[in-house]
Amino acid sequence: MKRKLLTALLCVTLAAGLLAGCGKKEKSEETPAPETQEETSEEENEEPAAEAENLSFEIVSKGLQQQYWQAVKNGVEQKAEELGVNVNFVGPASEADINDQVQMLENALNSSPSAIGLAALDTNSVMDLLSQAMDKNVPIIGFDSGVPNAPEGSVQATCATNNYAAGALAAEKIYEAVKDRIDGTVRIGVLTPDATADSTIQRGLGFIDKIAELAKADNYTSTVVGNEKYVNDSQCEKTDNANVIIDVRVPASMTSELSAADATSLMNEGDTVAIFAVNEHSANAIITANENLNKCGTGEGQIVAGGFDSGAAQVQAVREGILIGSITQAPVEMGKILVQNLYDAATGKPVEDTDTGCQWYTAENMDDPEIAQNLYE
Amino acid sequence: MTDKKQGNAFVNNPIVRAIGVQKIVVVIVLIAMILFFSAMSPAFRQYSTLLSIMDYTYYLAFLGIGVTFCLITGGVDLSIGTGMFCYALIGGYLINYVHTPVIVGILATIVCGLIAGTINGLIVSKGGHAPFLATLCTMMIVRGLGALVTGGSSITWPGASAPNGWTRTLFKMDMGGTKVPLGFLWVLILAVAMSIFLNKSRPGRYIIAIGSNKEATRLSGVNVAVYQTLAYIISGVFTGLAALAYSSAFQSMTPGGGGGIELNAIGGAIIGGTSMSGGAGTIAGTILGVFIMSVLQTGLPLIGIQANFQQIIIGIVLIVAVYIDVLKNKKLA
Repeated sequence: MKRKLLTALLCVTLAAGLLAGCGKKEKSEETPAPETQEETSEEENEEPAAEAENLSFEIVSKGLQQQYWQAVKNGVEQKAEELGVNVNFVGPASEADINDQVQMLENALNSSPSAIGLAALDTNSVMDLLSQAMDKNVPIIGFDSGVPNAPEGSVQATCATNNYAAGALAAEKIYEAVKDRIDGTVRIGVLTPDATADSTIQRGLGFIDKIAELAKADNYTSTVVGNEKYVNDSQCEKTDNANVIIDVRVPASMTSELSAADATSLMNEGDTVAIFAVNEHSANAIITANENLNKCGTGEGQIVAGGFDSGAAQVQAVREGILIGSITQAPVEMGKILVQNLYDAATGKPVEDTDTGCQWYTAENMDDPEIAQNLYE
Repeated sequence: MTDKKQGNAFVNNPIVRAIGVQKIVVVIVLIAMILFFSAMSPAFRQYSTLLSIMDYTYYLAFLGIGVTFCLITGGVDLSIGTGMFCYALIGGYLINYVHTPVIVGILATIVCGLIAGTINGLIVSKGGHAPFLATLCTMMIVRGLGALVTGGSSITWPGASAPNGWTRTLFKMDMGGTKVPLGFLWVLILAVAMSIFLNKSRPGRYIIAIGSNKEATRLSGVNVAVYQTLAYIISGVFTGLAALAYSSAFQSMTPGGGGGIELNAIGGAIIGGTSMSGGAGTIAGTILGVFIMSVLQTGLPLIGIQANFQQIIIGIVLIVAVYIDVLKNKKLA
């Protein structure tokens, strides 16, 4: 009995220690301004400012996971402070936790917010909740990957990078770098973390279709192999014995060691001339694989690699020339536009889809202020 | 163990008996696998493949060494996969966001493993929980904890070329343009040390005794709870080491990840002859078993097996390994 008590006590102490640790962390991580703002806005809700803005928004993201989401959150908080509204920004622990996200959306809906921002991990699993939101008259604004194929009228607008166009932009840059090497058969790899999220699918398809289009313009044939989703959905006309083989790899689950294995195997194909990673996770996998293989670069026989998003490792790799370049979105801007759209939707103003933009950054232009503001470590 | 049955010149050979039949079979299978992959894929024959295999071996070997102790007591530690991610996230978080020196991050990573291992051990030995259930619960806890501490963001440990990226050279050293898999040396040293600890030291022998017959061990005056807890502490500390090896090889980890990796490590241990029902197992066997897993993980993608099929194949290999373990126990009974 005494021992059991001791065990229980130990657990409690540990839990308390952990909580204390976490509290400390938030202070160091976030800039002090938004934090105090958060606290005060909660109080404001009950006290003075309540008369002006009673709006509260729930934002369900695809994670807080990548630093990218932190940048979106940052933009959200800036705009929320400016407009004086309450925002609750949540996301599942990992992008694999589709069920958790559904649960979060359900909770968001139950708290009867003025509007909801949603970046769906898996469109199909949120369909029912979208209809419920419509019944409750809670407007939904999609962001990032948005909510494609949503029931008519449930999602009022989407503010997102046009991922298809962003993928195509990467294709133009990468094709330009390898087009002189198309001789016989060459392979261009596409590394993607999943075949469920619309944003990465669109980037992949945008890339594939653009490569095929550019190759066709130069009188080369192309084909798509690998993951079936991409093979079936791309517009590339599949031809036998094509000059350009676009090879799409998707790991069984989104962990670094599995993605690195895919990157390694792509880069080990003798005919691979280029490889494109559709997000930070996949770009890191290329960088990891290259540490063993040492094949990435623009020299004779090397593999031209391009990435998407930023993050410390990727920014460093672009600087060192391991990646010839990478696409950056404008996450801070996306967060701001999202809150503005939520505000407009909640106050009955018209809202419309917004492309939040993207850029191709390279070792040369990455220090330009306009680009640097969207790169995060 | 395996060779209790009589007859058969191979099995009765004193050298074979000393090494153990299962280990010899594993080595033969390993060589066969390497030959197969080499024949199927020119890429597999490159030096870089060895580096890739080693990247997978380091963390699986550390996880495997640790969990072997739990398995030998007749328990299991299912929290090691997600735990590895959680501790690496916490250590990396300290380095990246709290800007502590790298050594603090490394120590924190190992201490996290130590704490979680102690809790696992106490819940199992004092609380009397079934090991799989207890560690399944801590698996959930560390899964959430990693995300909580990092605020949900993924963590990237310092790169090899970054000023504080020296940890990575501990496992992969650049010597005049050639990468040397230095980590294997650490795996070897720790494997030998833990093997001696398991077989020659008193606590090690108690751990084996608990797995063979817990009640008899208790009656002979051994404080069973202490040594049972010790097994989980060892597992926790080695999970911390595995976290360092993982972040050194693959650099970034996402909160909530790592689930399933524990099965690769446990599978490695079982392939190497550690019994799921406790009382038997060797560290050398575990290391061999882990090589089977890491060669599979490197080789299958290179011969063009799609990702989902890789998982299926590894799953089937594990079922076969456990089945062999079951057969062995039947023969003993």
